[in-house]
Formats: sequence, structure tokens, C-alpha cells
Amino acid sequence: MNHRSVRSDMGLIVKTTARATIPLIGIFGAYIVSHGHLTPGGGFQGGATIAGAGVLFLIAFGLEEAKKRYDHHAYSALESLGGLVFLGIAMLGLSVAFFYNMLWRKGIAFAGKPGTLLSAGYLPIMNLAVGLKVFAGLISAMMAISMYRRWKE
Amino acid sequence: MNVLPFLIIVPLMGAFSMPLSSLLGEKARSAWAVLVSALTLAVASKVFYDVWSTKQLLVYTLGDTTPLGKGVGFPIRILWEVDLFGALLALIVAFVAFMAIIYSLEYMKHDTGLEKYYTLITVLELGMLGIVITGDLFNFYVFLEIMSIASYALVAFRNDTWEGIEAGIKYMFVGSLASSFILLGIALLYGQYGTLTMSYLAVKIGQNPTFVGKAALGFFIGGLLFKSGAVPVHMWLADAHPAAPSSISAMLSGLVIKVGGIYALTRIAFSIYGTSINIKTVGWIIILFGCATLIVGNAMAVIQTDMKRLFAFSSVGQIGYILLGIGIGLAAYGTKVGDIALAGAVYHIVNHALMKALLFLVAGAVLHQIGTKNLNELSGLAKRMPFTSFAFLIGAAAIIGLPPLNGFASKWLIYESSALFNPFLAAVAVIGTAFCTAAYIRVLFTFFGRPSEVVDNAEEPGKAMMLPMLVLIVAIILMGLFPWQINDKIMLPTVDMLKDQLHYVAAVIGGA
Repeated sequence: MNHRSVRSDMGLIVKTTARATIPLIGIFGAYIVSHGHLTPGGGFQGGATIAGAGVLFLIAFGLEEAKKRYDHHAYSALESLGGLVFLGIAMLGLSVAFFYNMLWRKGIAFAGKPGTLLSAGYLPIMNLAVGLKVFAGLISAMMAISMYRRWKE
Repeated sequence: MNVLPFLIIVPLMGAFSMPLSSLLGEKARSAWAVLVSALTLAVASKVFYDVWSTKQLLVYTLGDTTPLGKGVGFPIRILWEVDLFGALLALIVAFVAFMAIIYSLEYMKHDTGLEKYYTLITVLELGMLGIVITGDLFNFYVFLEIMSIASYALVAFRNDTWEGIEAGIKYMFVGSLASSFILLGIALLYGQYGTLTMSYLAVKIGQNPTFVGKAALGFFIGGLLFKSGAVPVHMWLADAHPAAPSSISAMLSGLVIKVGGIYALTRIAFSIYGTSINIKTVGWIIILFGCATLIVGNAMAVIQTDMKRLFAFSSVGQIGYILLGIGIGLAAYGTKVGDIALAGAVYHIVNHALMKALLFLVAGAVLHQIGTKNLNELSGLAKRMPFTSFAFLIGAAAIIGLPPLNGFASKWLIYESSALFNPFLAAVAVIGTAFCTAAYIRVLFTFFGRPSEVVDNAEEPGKAMMLPMLVLIVAIILMGLFPWQINDKIMLPTVDMLKDQLHYVAAVIGGA
């Protein structure tokens, strides 16, 4: 039997660095999501970047610490919400066609000058929805992989 | 109001909200899954009825009212284009998926993680529905991947044994390879012709059939034969279909290999390429693969001892018949023989979906009640589970092609046309059926033989598992009673629309 105590978290230096960088990664991810219709990137890339902050948290602080902050049902609901918002926005223009950009064509919302943040109609909302879904899904997948692994140390 | 988008919206919404509904409890989730699939079936029936009664292509543009770009004469948007073939398959997909979901209510009751199961099965249905309605090559690829990835996950759903995981990983590797072939084909076509809309590609290829375009067809045929489990590349199917939960096996064998393989192949061959290439050669290539498939698949089925594996090999064999029919339809394009063969192939797709779904549901009932699918241990099952054995009898008789059941008419059309086209092919087809008969007679003897100890305490499954089997039996018998009426009213118009490439193009471009 191996009685070596398994520490799942990392040392002080890593933790301190992680504390400083996790918010920055999150902000950068949020930037990618919200500028999805203007710059390269979008919902998926931004969501994955934000989930990267979660990965860093898991590695730096360990699985025990991550488990305390992870609620499976909440993330599951968030992921569903992301998908449903995307679908709902796509259905907004159903009177004309599925995926019809009603917000932009009719100038209801997000109808600013092209190239500005509040433009492109449903695209920013869809990017937010996709970002939410990807973030929640990747975090859930990562937690599942680290919690239910079959091999032992 | 056009109901076509709801064919995607309903299952998509169902899949996204499945985890939310399971927060309300198990009952709510089951009810939601059944409701969503029932609604999808209703929408699919409506779409089928619309297309069938008007005999008009249904064209739906995503995001705008017309597929054409502003001031240009060619389509720039993603569009869905449904002909009778697509609508028919959408109906069958929705029907079998509905049956599989009802069946799962009881069959999967003892498993965990069921919200994922129902989400995935709805996504699988969604992917297949998307494939049959799309008119855009890349949209097709996206739906193909949705379908494939859901089925990889579902094959490995029961991860308490290594069988499922191994089969899932194998399926994923082979499936990804096949998908990359198809993607490469799409990329070649896009690079060469600069469009992804199927009908506009048909125009472009007709004007200038280049070598790259033909190479793309080669990639499509390769990748789609992989996906449909044709013979040199059928090894994944024999692992993946038995390892999945039986309700999923029913969908994989009954639907996925046809929608993701045969349908796509037919659509690409007829609607995109059509007569702008040497259609006879393409037809013969598919005929050769079909012959190999129906001999090897049925022959391999004879020697299996695992019931579900036997059914999986039998699916390979039946795919052979369908490929043979489609191959003759291509090689004898424009003649009466080709029409008969194609009608037989389309008919057999529908029939085989019903019978193979029934057979896998039977296998699932046996596995659920007795805990084994090894045929050597199941002797004498008929005494304890008469209904299940009767269901098997019907399914087996239908798949062999006995007259009062639905398999007869479709197989007859395929035999007839192959005999008219080339008697050698008919001989091959009959030899395949001989093997198929041998395989199923073996199972039948096992079921009606002397009872063994294993089956002594067996009982019939509950209502939720019997009901789908009963509905499928009724469907098989009903379709068997009116074979030629169905052929004249549904299959021949389907073939006419499928062959009418000009109409397929004109419906989008509108004579511009």
C-alpha cells in the first residue's frame, strides 16, 4: 500500500499567480464573447477561454476546492439556458424565416452603425448564449473527467 | 404557415430543455421526452403529407425570404430543400425514434444519467431529420456530425462494461475517418465551384464536370459507404450496433446507417451529379459494393451466437440489397428497370427501418428480461415469452421476405429489376436471401426449441416495451397487406422526384 498523501492542489507560487490571472482570463474571455461579431473569435472561443480560467482554478487549487464551488445542477441548467436562448433568438423572426435577423432588419435592438458594439442584431445575443453554453459545458466536462476517472494514482 | 422549421426546432428545443425538465423529476423528464418526440412525429407527418399531396419540392431559406443573393442570380444562403424521398425518411425517422423513446422508458429505467440519454437520443433524431431536409452541402455535413457524435456517445452509454466503450471508440475512429472523407469531398467541390448549395452545384457540375469534381464524388462514395456499413468497411457496425442499448441499436441499424449513408449517397449521386458524369460507371461501382455487402453480411449473420450481433450483420446484408437497388437505379438511369430498382431500394429502406427496429426491440426485451443475448442459452424462450417470440417471428419473416409482410414487396422489386438488368445480380441477391433465411431460422429454432433452465423464470416485459413492438408489428403487417398500392402511391412518385434533377435545381434558382 502506498500511504503517500495525494495533494491535489499546487504550491503557493502557483496559487498566487492563479489568483491574479483567473480574473484577467475571465475578462479576456468575456471580451472575446462580446466582440464576437466584430473581431475574430466569438461565443465558442470566448466560452472556451473563460472555461480555461476554470481549468486553471482546478489545477492550481485542486479538485476538493473546485468541487465546493461546482454545482452540477446549476451548470446543467446554465448550459440548457444557453442553448434555449440561442434557439429562441433564432425563432424571433420566424414570421419571415427561421434565423431571420429581425432585430437588425427592423431596427428593434442592437441596430447601431455596423462596426460598433451594439450592432448586428441577434449576433451578439447568440454569441453570449453560445459563450454561456460552451463555458458551462466545458466546465462540466472537465469536472466529470477529474471526478470520475477510473485509474488511481 | 410553413411547418418545416419546426422539424428542427422541436427536437432541438427538446434536447436543450431535457436537463431542465429532469430537474423537475424523473416523471417530468420521461413525459417531456415522449411529448417532444410525438410532436416531432406530428410535424414530420405534416411535412410528408404536404410534399406528398402536392408533389412539389419544399424549399425553405434560412434567414431570408429568398435563397438568391441581392442582385445576383445564384443562391448564397443556407437552404433546406425537401423532396418526397427526404420527407418519407423524415417520417420514418420520427416514427422509429418515437417508438425507441417509448421503449426506453422501461428499458433504460435502471440506468443512471438518463437526462443525457434522452438529450442524446433527441439530438440523434435531430441530426437525421436535418440530413434529410437540407439542401446545402455544408449544412449536411454539420447535421451528419451532430448525428454521428450523438451515436458515438450513445454506443458507449453503458460504460459499466468495456464492450460499449471499446465499440464506441472504434466507431468514433472509423466514423471520424469517414466524416473527414466527406468533408474533403465538400472542400474539393467548394474549391472548384465556389458554392455549397446542392442545386447550384448541380448546375455548375453540369456546365463543367472537372476531374476535381469527380474525385470529390469518389471521396463522397468512400465516406458514405463507411457510414452505411458496406462490406469492406463494415467491421465497426458489427461492434457498435450490438454494444449500444437496444433502443439505440434499433435507431442505429434502422435509421442512422440509411440516413447518414444511403440517403446521402443517393442525394449526392442523383441531385448533385445526376447525368453530368458517367452515371453507369458510378452505378456499377455501387452495385459491386452492394453485391459484396449482401453476401458477406448475410453469410456472417449465419455463424453468430450473439443475437444482437446477428441482427447487426443482417443489417449489413440488408444494406447490400438497398445498395444493389440504388446501383441499378443509377446504372439503368432513365429506364423502367432503373425506376423499379430505385423504388425497391427506397421501399426497402422504409421496410428495413421498421423490421430491424422491431428485431432489436425484441433482442432488448430478451436481454432485459433474461440478461443474456447468447443464442446458445436462450432455447425454448417461446413458452415463457410468447408475445416477444411472436414479434420476433413477424420481424424475421418480414426481413426474409415472406409474402404477407412488408419485406416481400421491396425485395421482390429488387429481385425483379436485378433479373431484368443482369441475371447474375439476381442470383447473387437470392443467394444472400438464402443465407439470411438460414440465420433467422436458426434463431427461430432456438426460440421454439426445448426450454433451458435460463429461461425458466422469464417473464414478458412491461407495457412500455410491448407497446412499441406491437405498433411496429401492426405497421409491418399493414404495409404487407397493401404492397403495390404503397408502391404506386408513394415509392414511384418518390423515385420520379428523386430523378428529376432539373426540377430540384429549378425550385431553388427559379429559372433565373
